[in-house]
Amino acid sequence: MPSLFVLFLILLLAPLAQAQTQLRFVTWQPETETAWVWDKAIFDFEARHAGVKVVREVGPHSSTEFHDLVTQKLRNRDPQMDVFFMDVIWPAEFAAAGWALPLDTFFPAPERQSFFAAPIQADSYEGRIYGVPVFIDTGMLYYRKDLLDKHDLSPPRTWPELVRQAKLILAQERDPYLTGYSAQFKQYEGLVCNMMEFILGNGATLWDERRLQSTLNDAKAKEAVRFVRDQIIAAISHRGILAYQEPESLALFTQGKAIFHRNWPYAWAVANDPRQSKVVGKVGIMPLPAFPGQKSASALGGWQLAISRFSRHPQLAWEFIEHMTSSEIQKRIALYTGRAPARRALYRDTEILKRNPQFESQYETFLLAAPRPRTPVYQPLSNIMQRYFSSAIAIADSDIDRLAGSASRDMDRVLDLLRNRRLP
Amino acid sequence: MRRSRDPTWRFLLPSFLFVGIFSVYPIFDSFRLSFYRMILTLPWLGQKFVGWENYRDLSTDPVALDSLATSLIFVAVTTPIEVLLGLAMALVLNESFRGRGWLRAIVLIPWAVPTVVSSQMWRFIFNDRYGLFNFLLFGDATQRYWAPLAEPYLALSSIMVADIWKTSSFAALIILAGLQGIPGELYEAASIDGATTWEKFRHITLPLIKPALLLALVFRTIDALKVFDLVFVMTQGGPADTTNVLQFYGYKKSFAEGMIGYGSAIAVVVFLISLILSTLYIRLAGTGLLGKEPQA
Repeated sequence: MPSLFVLFLILLLAPLAQAQTQLRFVTWQPETETAWVWDKAIFDFEARHAGVKVVREVGPHSSTEFHDLVTQKLRNRDPQMDVFFMDVIWPAEFAAAGWALPLDTFFPAPERQSFFAAPIQADSYEGRIYGVPVFIDTGMLYYRKDLLDKHDLSPPRTWPELVRQAKLILAQERDPYLTGYSAQFKQYEGLVCNMMEFILGNGATLWDERRLQSTLNDAKAKEAVRFVRDQIIAAISHRGILAYQEPESLALFTQGKAIFHRNWPYAWAVANDPRQSKVVGKVGIMPLPAFPGQKSASALGGWQLAISRFSRHPQLAWEFIEHMTSSEIQKRIALYTGRAPARRALYRDTEILKRNPQFESQYETFLLAAPRPRTPVYQPLSNIMQRYFSSAIAIADSDIDRLAGSASRDMDRVLDLLRNRRLP
Repeated sequence: MRRSRDPTWRFLLPSFLFVGIFSVYPIFDSFRLSFYRMILTLPWLGQKFVGWENYRDLSTDPVALDSLATSLIFVAVTTPIEVLLGLAMALVLNESFRGRGWLRAIVLIPWAVPTVVSSQMWRFIFNDRYGLFNFLLFGDATQRYWAPLAEPYLALSSIMVADIWKTSSFAALIILAGLQGIPGELYEAASIDGATTWEKFRHITLPLIKPALLLALVFRTIDALKVFDLVFVMTQGGPADTTNVLQFYGYKKSFAEGMIGYGSAIAVVVFLISLILSTLYIRLAGTGLLGKEPQA
């Protein structure tokens, strides 16, 4: 009875103890199986900072939708949001708009050396830094080792080779449920990453950052788009992938229904988790193929932590970021979620490598990852590209020349806004 | 002197304030912003008055024109179906039978479910691997399954189906209210005169529920023109931009791209179209909707 009374008293007084600082962290929904890693990281922070409560606001999984949520708060100068996740393509936009707090005093240049150069570069804009990388993502090719071995094939180095192998396996396996290539071809940001990898892998680019001109109308760029339409979608995939984002395309692969799969590094852990995957131990991973005579290219992805310019607790927010990006937490994230840490030293950590042997081979890819061009007008450019890519590949007889021409003109018009910039 | 002490205005003031702050002011501010060029991510461009430039750009923007067409097709297909289905449902619900109360409640469920939830549900139903839609069509023959949300020619229809499922019951609710206002004596008199069921429907029910039908039509048209959440959850405007309705395009411009002026111009156009369509309906069907009795 007395214990019940004490409990009652605690419940009654608990709200009073809330007279503490709240730090609002806007994040996306982590995968259910590994959510505890993030929970624990936040719990540890609270344990080390008495009187601080981290309130999590969970946004949508898709980067595009998450962007809408975060920018909504920033436009409204919402002082509630302190720390937020930032996709690798946003820093330029948030910096130019004056939404993200420059972190130069907190995060001096020597500290930045411990991280991969590509995300640090993506986090910088006009000489200042606006985010700290948490983990790095690059497009990787996953393949069914068992199927390739069974048909005496070695992992494909070029896209045409991948298509040939997929056709061969599909013809011999005669499994109506099997698909050759699973990736992200829905009209959203992921489509830009996927298509950019084909285009860069054919020696072309999305746009010329120096001359501020779209290059989508170049023959090599159009050739890559045509290849996706005719050789991937129409030949070795099923039409459903035109509506797939990461989770759907990965589910197809982990259910054993896809031979090749393009995804970010986290897919490795999922594909090898017996609770979620039917292809445990049968998966190979390698850099994405290129077109013959060209170099492989992977889109740089990954998430950063940033502080809102309108936060009332920038110092505390920084301590939170410092904690979440520390070696200790990054190691835990790497060990248990399979997310590739942004700190380079962790790739020599034997415990991590033992659990994630794929990191060793991915290291080179991470060093060479291709960031999407940095610009404050990335969103309008991306929307034009999403529209173009989706129209070009979803319609079997699309007029790619005409679509590429008009997408290029639209992009040039947006890029024109950056010319003759008067400095503020 | 007594007039000024009339308390009426004091009672009305709160509602005027409410409408003023939450409806009139935003509408006028959207109008104002639509005459500016204002891009949030390029603050050094400032907020520049550009007159009709945003509207001129809009009239030559092929994406905007396509999305306008998509919106109009969406309205033209969904509203008549929703009102007709709503009418059918309302007629059934107006009959007296056992369990009518239950049925009335059940019919309203689709409308009561938050749109985001029902959109997510329809996304699952239309899934190309495990969707119920495919299961009903093809059973276990999964290799023949369609991907309605991935096909440019099916995606918009799929969203229409979801919208019709969701909002027909709203139309039914309005029409049912109209039906309940019809005095029973009219039908009794008609029966005595020997009218058939169809004649009763044609000459009593239909004319008397005309205001309710019109109201349902106006509400549904305005809502369908503003359809957003279904697109947001189910397709994000794709594939090949075929579900990029005007409201979603405006949202993308304002919120994702930070082009406040241009986005506002789109919002104003959506507003004007709903205004014109509603006025047109009311003029054409001119009934007591605005308080004026029809000249019989």
